[in-house]
Amino acid sequence: MLFRLECRKIIRSAAFLIYCVISVLFFATNYYNDCKGGVYISSGEYKIVEDHDLIMDGAVNMLAGEYTSNKYVCYPFGFYKAVHLRESKQEKIAAYLKEITGTDGKEFEALFSGGEKYYTGSSDQPIYSFDSIPVAEGFSYDRFREIMADVDDMLGGGSYYDPETLVYNYSRVPMTEDEAQAEYDSFLKEDRITGGLARLFSDYAGIDLGILPVFAAAYLTSADRKRRMHEVVYTKSISSFRLVFTRYAALVFTMFIPVFLEMVAALIQALFEYPGQDMDIPVMFTLPTFWLLPILMFAAAMGVVITEIFSPATAIFTQVVIWFMSTMMGSAELCGKIGRFTLICRHNSPANRAEFLMNQDNFIFSRFFWAAVSIVLVMIAAYVYEAKRGGRFNAIKLFGKGGILRRKA
Amino acid sequence: MDNNIIIRNMNKFYGRKQALYNIDLTIEQGMFGLLGRNGAGKTTLMKTLAALHKKKNGEITVCGVPVEKAKKIRSMTGYLPQDFSMYPNMRTDEALDYLGALSGIPAKERKIRVEALLEKVNLTEHRHKKVKELSGGMKRRLGIAQALIHDPRVIIVDEPTAGLDPEERIRFRNLLCEVAEDRIVILSTHIVGDIESTCEKLAIMDEGRILWKGTVRELLENARGHIYTANIEKQYMSQIKKEYIVTGIVAQADYTTVRLVSDAEPDLPNAVLTEPDLEGAYMYCLHANGCSVKGGEE
Repeated sequence: MLFRLECRKIIRSAAFLIYCVISVLFFATNYYNDCKGGVYISSGEYKIVEDHDLIMDGAVNMLAGEYTSNKYVCYPFGFYKAVHLRESKQEKIAAYLKEITGTDGKEFEALFSGGEKYYTGSSDQPIYSFDSIPVAEGFSYDRFREIMADVDDMLGGGSYYDPETLVYNYSRVPMTEDEAQAEYDSFLKEDRITGGLARLFSDYAGIDLGILPVFAAAYLTSADRKRRMHEVVYTKSISSFRLVFTRYAALVFTMFIPVFLEMVAALIQALFEYPGQDMDIPVMFTLPTFWLLPILMFAAAMGVVITEIFSPATAIFTQVVIWFMSTMMGSAELCGKIGRFTLICRHNSPANRAEFLMNQDNFIFSRFFWAAVSIVLVMIAAYVYEAKRGGRFNAIKLFGKGGILRRKA
Repeated sequence: MDNNIIIRNMNKFYGRKQALYNIDLTIEQGMFGLLGRNGAGKTTLMKTLAALHKKKNGEITVCGVPVEKAKKIRSMTGYLPQDFSMYPNMRTDEALDYLGALSGIPAKERKIRVEALLEKVNLTEHRHKKVKELSGGMKRRLGIAQALIHDPRVIIVDEPTAGLDPEERIRFRNLLCEVAEDRIVILSTHIVGDIESTCEKLAIMDEGRILWKGTVRELLENARGHIYTANIEKQYMSQIKKEYIVTGIVAQADYTTVRLVSDAEPDLPNAVLTEPDLEGAYMYCLHANGCSVKGGEE
């Protein structure tokens, strides 16, 4: 069976060995270390509550700052984008702000002249921030959500005003001691320990799975050419779709092996740390698999498709950029917000079960979305492979001699 | 079923540069040699036949199948490229098994075929060696085994003997002759000796064109009356090389015997007409077709 032969080929490669070593080191230094001696949940940690006043207060001050700066930060599909609005749209935002604050004319201008002004990076455009813009008394939360939805539409989506994420962006409060105790009880009873640990495990593993597979995928996809055996493979009768998909499936399967073993290690650690406690054993495998597999699938698919079209170096560079944006910008919150298009979901805590459940729909959607994107990418890779195989396409060279992006002297 | 490869008015371009010009060729069952200098277009023609390159126009049918039907062509063609290589850390039998899997052969059948082919190419005792541990000759034999793994009707081998020692070269040629008994084998080479000892029919290529096609005997006949030998005093050698296409030099004690190609009887003492050999016939063919030939010139 070709799949078995491909797996054997991957497992014997240096790229796979390096991948395993880094993955295990990452697991040992992060998750394993965090959970050594058992997890603790302390007062002072933040939790999400649905407080309409908090949401309206936070959102209106954020909108005031972005409106005054005319720089709206958005994360469509999880990627950073700064939006600058035309005058007519700015006027519409101003009208909404007047409606929310219940001010007009000079009163509105006075309110908006009190912001803190600062500069970022090398830009000479000032950025404003506000923390004391009031919401008109008795202003309806339903109307507020309508306005936020329209503002988010105007900005192209993924803004801080997306009604789905308002609660995660603006409604966080520190836990009291009693609340921390309640959270811990929830960790023991509702999550049955492994539920919370599985989330924490997935959070950590998602970070390295967003980047490491691309190295192995790019290396192994280019191996035939590097070994000068691509022409021999091209002349074999296997279809390009079958070959590319089998190799991709073998990549994903083999690269999931160390993750699976880490899950086993995490479970053994939990059994040692919480002897005799009631635990949900299967969730230690099911949740991380559902959480992490799409991340691994996407990173591997990027490695395959970009290597086929361009080169292994371009594939790695592209995925590094996506990974950086996804982990550092798109998912700036370590806990809580999971958008419909979040690739690397974060939940850096064994607690906050309720908060995670609030995102469940988005979480499920995002997993299926990225898995589907990965399959589409591999289909493109198979199409490109077939074209290369028949001499109808050569990989596009970006840099170096003959590269399309090469600087002319 | 049709057992020929038929090429009609085929042209091939790399971007704007034309690589093959109006190729017209019929290749029948048995060994067929494609002879030409490096850069003559042999590899391009081989790759086009193996559906690795797209032709610009013209027609190619391989045993009745148009070359555009790549999947079908792949299933009936075995290809051994000039610089055959495999994953260096794979074992010899594993490499063959893997390429058999890529040819869609079921595991059970693959096992039998791998055994048989290793035997055929005399690699059975090296089956557990890693590919990187094989000698150049062994690698080529592994190459021919992989080309045969799916029992194709056509085998295309590109410069298979380059870099092999004489013993391995003879062994490889014999192997090719064996496999050509019941299929078409196209041997592309710039080494005349390879063609001489294996092929009955051949074509000569230069600069993307077919210069000559026919049997080896016809090629020799074509050169008859143009190959001479002469005994020359050593001090005249450089002069001779400038004026004639020298295909062989044998140094004697006080003179040198040269073998040369000439349109007319050379103006040399002792020059005698001699039986053409394939090397001389090939050089004469190039010369007669207006190709610049520098045989023997230093």
